Amino acid sequence: MKTATLQKSDIGKCLDLLIQSQKRVIAPQLRPRLDSPDAIDVLMLTPLENGDNHQVGQGILPLNGVKEFLFVKHEPILAFENKDNKVHIKEVHHKYPETIIFGVRPCDAASIASQNAVFSSDNAGYNDQFFTKRLENTTIVTYSCTTGDQSCFCTSVGLEPDSDRGSDLHLTELPDNTLHVEIKTPAGERVANILAPLLQGEGDQAARDTAGKEAHKNVSRIRNSHLIKAWLDDQSNFDDEMWERLGEKCIGCGACTFMCPTCHCFDIVDETRGSKGYRIKFWDSCQFDHFTLHSSGHNPRDKQYKRYRNRFTCKFKIYQDKFNAQGCVGCGRCIRDCPVNLDITEYMKEVDLKASLPNALRQDPDFE
Amino acid sequence: MNIYQPHLMTINKVIQETPDIKTFHLVFQDEEMRDNFRFKAGQFAEYSAFGHGESTFCIASSPTRMDHIECCFRSVGKNTAGLFGLSEGDTVGFRGPYGNVFPLDKFKGKDLIFIAGGIALPPLRSVIWNVLDKAEDFGHISIVYGARTVEDLVYKREIEEWEQMPNVTVVKTVDPGGETPEWKGHVGFVPHILENEFAPNPDNTIALICGPPIMIKFTFEALDRLGFKQDQLITTLENRMKCGLGKCGRCNIGSTYVCLDGPVFWAEELAKLPKEY
Repeated sequence: MKTATLQKSDIGKCLDLLIQSQKRVIAPQLRPRLDSPDAIDVLMLTPLENGDNHQVGQGILPLNGVKEFLFVKHEPILAFENKDNKVHIKEVHHKYPETIIFGVRPCDAASIASQNAVFSSDNAGYNDQFFTKRLENTTIVTYSCTTGDQSCFCTSVGLEPDSDRGSDLHLTELPDNTLHVEIKTPAGERVANILAPLLQGEGDQAARDTAGKEAHKNVSRIRNSHLIKAWLDDQSNFDDEMWERLGEKCIGCGACTFMCPTCHCFDIVDETRGSKGYRIKFWDSCQFDHFTLHSSGHNPRDKQYKRYRNRFTCKFKIYQDKFNAQGCVGCGRCIRDCPVNLDITEYMKEVDLKASLPNALRQDPDFE
Repeated sequence: MNIYQPHLMTINKVIQETPDIKTFHLVFQDEEMRDNFRFKAGQFAEYSAFGHGESTFCIASSPTRMDHIECCFRSVGKNTAGLFGLSEGDTVGFRGPYGNVFPLDKFKGKDLIFIAGGIALPPLRSVIWNVLDKAEDFGHISIVYGARTVEDLVYKREIEEWEQMPNVTVVKTVDPGGETPEWKGHVGFVPHILENEFAPNPDNTIALICGPPIMIKFTFEALDRLGFKQDQLITTLENRMKCGLGKCGRCNIGSTYVCLDGPVFWAEELAKLPKEY
């Protein structure tokens, strides 16, 4: 593997070089969360015009993940027109510009493989080109975390703050204000070639590993997750009292699913004006009551706690069973952004406790 | 290729089954599709009224009769209302076929009982005509069909046709209060009539069930009391779907995606799933 060293102060210049090479460059920036003069600036992955005001390596995690640049929030998948009493359909031709997402945190980068497992032809042979064509033209430049906040829990789901999964070019901050650069893929190499004027010699692998270990110590929220899958596989736990008790406060707003980098659910609707229209694919949420509602009025997930049970099960069982991929990357957005402080790691903790109880205790009828 | 792109089909014929249920006869506009389209009994498709959306229905016609495709639907939501308003000559979108199939090979030489409630007859009707068209391969055919009222029964003319066939027994019923003075069938819920009035012999028999989850539950219980084993019961589920391709995330029962792993399930497969359908 090829490595190099980059001055941290040269990140802006890197972004400028990439923009000058006619790529669409997306990086974290401070942006008002709402379209209002009073809005507070938050860290958002945003397309850049120049490298001046980037926030690469700053803060914990952008509010948005890379998801919205691959699995777009709202996009036409078909155009149609009613003309002379006949329907004409047309392919929609999206642009899939060559894109570099720069400064992606390792959790977000790891989530791309999960989304790809759903949308690519790996899933039953059906290739969602709107996702895969975007992914083909996207290069991910990751930036190791040096610390976590109180919601981060990547180390509880098998990731590390310096993981390079899903990365094309991986950057790790070293104490001497340089960046250790690892070229992981041919796409990463192409980016490195553009950045060549700024890259110096080989990277210091030992310093990089030390930095990673230091960062690991700063992820404070730690849960065991290795017993969860088997516990969920045990069908008798489907009716465990925990689901209703912990899920009681969920208000079903769906924020966790929209913020989640691995959530993939969507709806398909038609939007029309006059005789023309588009068929639109857009983000949906398994937390909404109508999501599974049958036309008969029957609803398999008729209570909010059942919908949250589905979400938790999707992360720790369904993703593995059905898509052979990781369901949760521990980014913590669903904890940070939940209006009622519902905490997925509380579920993890409870399940771990239940799963690690001795059998005799578990079978004791008096034990709750 | 865009996996969400439908084929265009022309409505050749509209049959008003009940006040809010219609059957469409559909023909592909593309000649190549007309010649090459194949499906098997049990599979479903996404049907769209352009400008209204897409809905999931089974293919209600038999793969032995390929001159057109049929679907049968109730007007309940935006897209089905849109479809309901279409007439002969109009265009609908069609994506499919999707999902697994009824394993007809495993039914060969056996007696078959079809049990359906209301709008759930169309998924079984595909199989019914399929086996009737190959009657030499199968034993006796029974059809136990019920709806809320006499007016809500679909395929009324075909039911009469089936009643005339020598190797077919039709048991029809309507829910209490749904009968008319002229009604000659039973009055009572499907599982009750099945168990107490029809009481089929389980020997060398397969029961195919389609209906709302509550009907499937009670029908399984009734068949169990009649001596049917789990490997003699097969059903098709009708979970809400959007994509039909295992991506949109709403039809799952635990790790089982009804669109990819179903919609056809043996009772023993169903028993292994969480009770969330």
